[in-house]
Amino acid sequence: MRIVKLKQDRLNSFLEAVSTDSELWGPVKKGADKHRFKIVDNPAEFDLDYTRTILPPKKIFLPPRFNMFKAMPTAYEEETMDPTKKILFGVHPCDIHGILIMDQFYTQTYNDPYYIRSRENTIILGHSCWPDEHCLCHSTGTDVANEGYDLFFTALNDEYLVWIGSSKGDDLVRIVPELFNEDLSDRDIQNYIRWREDRSKAFKAEINFKAMPDFMELKYRDAVWENLSHACLACGSCSNVCPTCTCYNVNDKPRLSENASDIARCWDACTLESYSEVAGGENFRESRSERLKLYYTHKLQAFISKYGKPACVGCGRCAATCPVGINVKTVAGALDGEEVDAFWSRYATEVTK
Amino acid sequence: MNNGKPKIGIYELTGCAGDALLIVDCEMELLDIFTAADIQSFAMAKSDNIDGELDVALVEGSVTTEKEISELKDIRERAKIVVAFGNCAAHGGIQARFDDKEWQENLKKVYGNQKFTHTKPVRSKPIDEFVKVDFYLPGCPVSKEQFLHFLTRMLKGNPPEHYPTPVCVTCKYNENDCLLNNGKLCLGPLTADGCGSVCPNHNIPCFGCWGPVENANAIAELHLLKEKGFSVEEIKKRMANFAGTKLADAIKQL
Amino acid sequence: MKTISIDHLTRVEGNGGITATIDGKTVTEVKFNVFEGPRLIERLTVGRTPEEDVSLAPRICAICSVSHKNAVLRAMEDALDVNVSKKIIYSRELMHMGEMIESHSLHTFLLALPDFLGYPNAIAMAGDFEFEAKIGLEMKNYGNHIMKVYNGRWIHGENAVIGGFGQLPTKEDLTWIKSRALQFMPFVNKTVALFCGLDYPDIPEDDTLYVCCEPGNNEYGFWGDEILLSTGEKYSKYDYPKVTNEYTVSHSFCKRSRYNGRPFSVGALARVNNLGDRLEGQAGEMYRKYFNDRWKKNPLFHAAAQALEIMYCFERIPQLVDLILADREEPALIPYTTKEGTGTGLVEAPRGTLIHHYAIKNGLVDHSDIITPTAMNAEEIERYCHIAAQKLLDEGKEDEIRARMDIVVRAFDPCISCSAHSVEIERVPETAWKDRLLELSAKKAPFFVGVGTEDRSDDRAGLELAARLKEMGIADVYTEKDIDSIRSIQEQRPIIFLDAVNMGESPGKITLIPVDHVLRNVNNSHKFTPFIVGALNGAQIKNSYVLGIQPGTTDFGTEMSSSVKEAVQKVVSALTN
Repeated sequence: MRIVKLKQDRLNSFLEAVSTDSELWGPVKKGADKHRFKIVDNPAEFDLDYTRTILPPKKIFLPPRFNMFKAMPTAYEEETMDPTKKILFGVHPCDIHGILIMDQFYTQTYNDPYYIRSRENTIILGHSCWPDEHCLCHSTGTDVANEGYDLFFTALNDEYLVWIGSSKGDDLVRIVPELFNEDLSDRDIQNYIRWREDRSKAFKAEINFKAMPDFMELKYRDAVWENLSHACLACGSCSNVCPTCTCYNVNDKPRLSENASDIARCWDACTLESYSEVAGGENFRESRSERLKLYYTHKLQAFISKYGKPACVGCGRCAATCPVGINVKTVAGALDGEEVDAFWSRYATEVTK
Repeated sequence: MNNGKPKIGIYELTGCAGDALLIVDCEMELLDIFTAADIQSFAMAKSDNIDGELDVALVEGSVTTEKEISELKDIRERAKIVVAFGNCAAHGGIQARFDDKEWQENLKKVYGNQKFTHTKPVRSKPIDEFVKVDFYLPGCPVSKEQFLHFLTRMLKGNPPEHYPTPVCVTCKYNENDCLLNNGKLCLGPLTADGCGSVCPNHNIPCFGCWGPVENANAIAELHLLKEKGFSVEEIKKRMANFAGTKLADAIKQL
Repeated sequence: MKTISIDHLTRVEGNGGITATIDGKTVTEVKFNVFEGPRLIERLTVGRTPEEDVSLAPRICAICSVSHKNAVLRAMEDALDVNVSKKIIYSRELMHMGEMIESHSLHTFLLALPDFLGYPNAIAMAGDFEFEAKIGLEMKNYGNHIMKVYNGRWIHGENAVIGGFGQLPTKEDLTWIKSRALQFMPFVNKTVALFCGLDYPDIPEDDTLYVCCEPGNNEYGFWGDEILLSTGEKYSKYDYPKVTNEYTVSHSFCKRSRYNGRPFSVGALARVNNLGDRLEGQAGEMYRKYFNDRWKKNPLFHAAAQALEIMYCFERIPQLVDLILADREEPALIPYTTKEGTGTGLVEAPRGTLIHHYAIKNGLVDHSDIITPTAMNAEEIERYCHIAAQKLLDEGKEDEIRARMDIVVRAFDPCISCSAHSVEIERVPETAWKDRLLELSAKKAPFFVGVGTEDRSDDRAGLELAARLKEMGIADVYTEKDIDSIRSIQEQRPIIFLDAVNMGESPGKITLIPVDHVLRNVNNSHKFTPFIVGALNGAQIKNSYVLGIQPGTTDFGTEMSSSVKEAVQKVVSALTN
């Protein structure tokens, strides 16, 4: 894989030069200390000193709500699914791994034309990061991305080491070759290796994911699920913020003035009560504990059994989002026998003034 | 059915008239609505109203007088489908918060010993305390999108969509930072979705105006907010504002 | 007995009705009934935090929700000593203009115009008057858009909070609002020409007391810290009870207001009457072109005044946007701490003056008082309906009363959900006075007050009757000379004035009329009016009646005509049994 160098102060010139016929997306500050991927007119709006966005990049390929097609009595008409070319800049390794899992699900296991069209038109430009207390990518093995990007920018001192991951990435560099420096020195490589080592040491949270399928099996009827459910607000946020959650729902939206319906799609979440409701009103997972168990079976057991890796890329979004502290870290800890049950049980006790 | 058009009546009991106003506020769709449906009665928008057989009656407002009880029963007899339209009809509105004793005391505080000759006031209640309700469309006021979607499905003979999820779902779709995590008294997890998470979109915590979502975990929310420093009394008051009569006792017992 | 009824007032926001009672040639009573049940909103806010109240109180009314929001915010910030920046004040004014445009365009084009053009609704009107319906809807949509941009949604938005806004609109949102306002101007000109140029019928007209906020600085505007009356009198906002004097009535859940016993009008017409000469720009030109004396006494001109205000708003919006954008750096929200205190917020809702008053204690609302414009206009709506009904009855057009009263009510653009649908007309039998008198006496013993002149034949009737009642041993019998004793009556007992009243009937006809009617109808009142006005308070007036006997002659002389003597005897007999 070819690596080139770019002075950090030339980054915006590069992004401007390559995004003339594309939407430019990247991390932008939201509120005081949160971030989200957003379209910008000027790359100076990006804030690269971020840990994680509120929603993962999946929203760019499949928005939370969109109309797939218009259904008429004897025909249907595709909505013009945004064929706009997009450049998504500033994606961290965990999110690149998340995109790879989405790719596997929506382009190999199932062919989702809406995902495929949008994905094929999006260039992924990765960016290095530094972990905070919620980051688990070291445990999930997703702290480094070797594929899934077109270019990857690692910030070292005042320069970027830029990994060229695809021919599309190479084409971008060739638009403005004068900005790049091809002379990669040994010193650069050593700096990079030392940075990697320092970064590895900076992780504060670790989980033994390999043991999780067995724990899940053993604890399937354990009281831990009931305890968790005392606290669960069933808000669905853990699924909505998870880079590997792919479930969706489809609704007919009839049009008032014509004999046609818009067929609309929206993200769904297995932690919501309506998720497991079927025709006739029967619900297979009425209790919150059953639904939480389904969620974590998917993340920590079923996916590992099938694909050899967890459906968790360690991004820490569930930990940063869930208001009552139910997340992959605390659940894995509980399964591993940590004394965390009381943590959730407190939500079931009597309220005193 | 008249010329194949469903007959619709829109009625206002006691409330702010916001749900009926919202129909008038469908400025660009209003003509389509009047074209697709035979609007038999809509006091806010027209004078030539007919009180006859209806396919669908949208009833806004809570029941707060004896006159309204008989009007509501008359609407039920005339309509194939009765829809509780808005929070007041569905849950009783903010005015349904008082129990019988509190209501009597407060009525006296406002009107003194005044005896009313035109009709007798009664404690505010949602319409399903008096008649069978076929569908509910909560909201304070109902949302334009939910209303138009609901109406279109009704007009096309489809059952209306059910909205069983909390505000949090849309709030996350809108990529808002969770206000509970910021120490705010946000009722999002307990509140039915439909507003588009408009308050959190503006950094304002959810006030609960759609009324409670089914099977919400109110006890966990109470503990969570208590840990964040709110008094149990304050949290319960906030929960009760739009919860109406059905959950009033449940909240007190939390 | 005869009944004319408008069972549901249509094309108004809310739930109310009108009942008119006719005895012979006299419309004895008109009642504006509010069937909208009591919601006790003021009581719902007690025990809640100020920030909660800011969300609860505006739920009173959907169409005025932004006015309620601004009123409660002004009251709370007054109580809690929160001083928001100029940018926040301009932002709230812009949001308020959204509501004015929305509400005024809805009322003028879609609710009132079908009346003037003779259609049952705007949709039916739209076939022949597509342009008017379309402009009305587009202006309404624009007003809603402004409220949505500022408050999150147009009905019951929550973005405006104590100390500012949760989030301020973007520069793009604001520049769009400005450019759209400029685009609307040609249509705004047409709106003013249409509604100010309409040939409004004499429904009929009467002298009116107008009340609105005093914006200060000799400016037009929609809020202030003083109340301005068309008499020139001013009151501090804290003295609002001196103007409103609220009291309850038995036929409505909406409280009533009178100033010095006199009903008053609030709303766009009141503002234009009191403040119109302060209008500048095109709105000022149009005011000077169209305003005349009929605007001072005909409520139908509400629509014309609303059109002028639409123009005022469209001219003010671009200025406001510039002012807001000049202050980009100011924060959206300033922090505050809850403290003890009282505060009053005074704003002009589209349909008139709106007052919110709160006392905060221990971090919670301890007392709240909300007075809505429709509550203030209720007495005026009854008064004008009464005048209109009596005039039509005098002209022998009894069958037109119903439709006319419907139009009169709608002219006031009432928003009955403020507190508060139907017009009902009832013709009672000759002996109705007797049933009513006994009904009144059965509840609480009335005070009787004889009125008249000893030496003017049948005008003695009242005094004669008073003397006879006293002879019978009835305790509380006065004459008009005892005015001070009458004034000091504190008890909630009916006051019945005994008097010879010219109702155009045959001599000796007895009618029991609420004193209101006598006050309203100049023709019947003779010397009675000055005697009553100023002597009784609003609640007393509402509980006062005139037992009137139609005189035959009131020439000098001490002998009453035989039919009047018979009438006096009938009353005495009625009360004896």
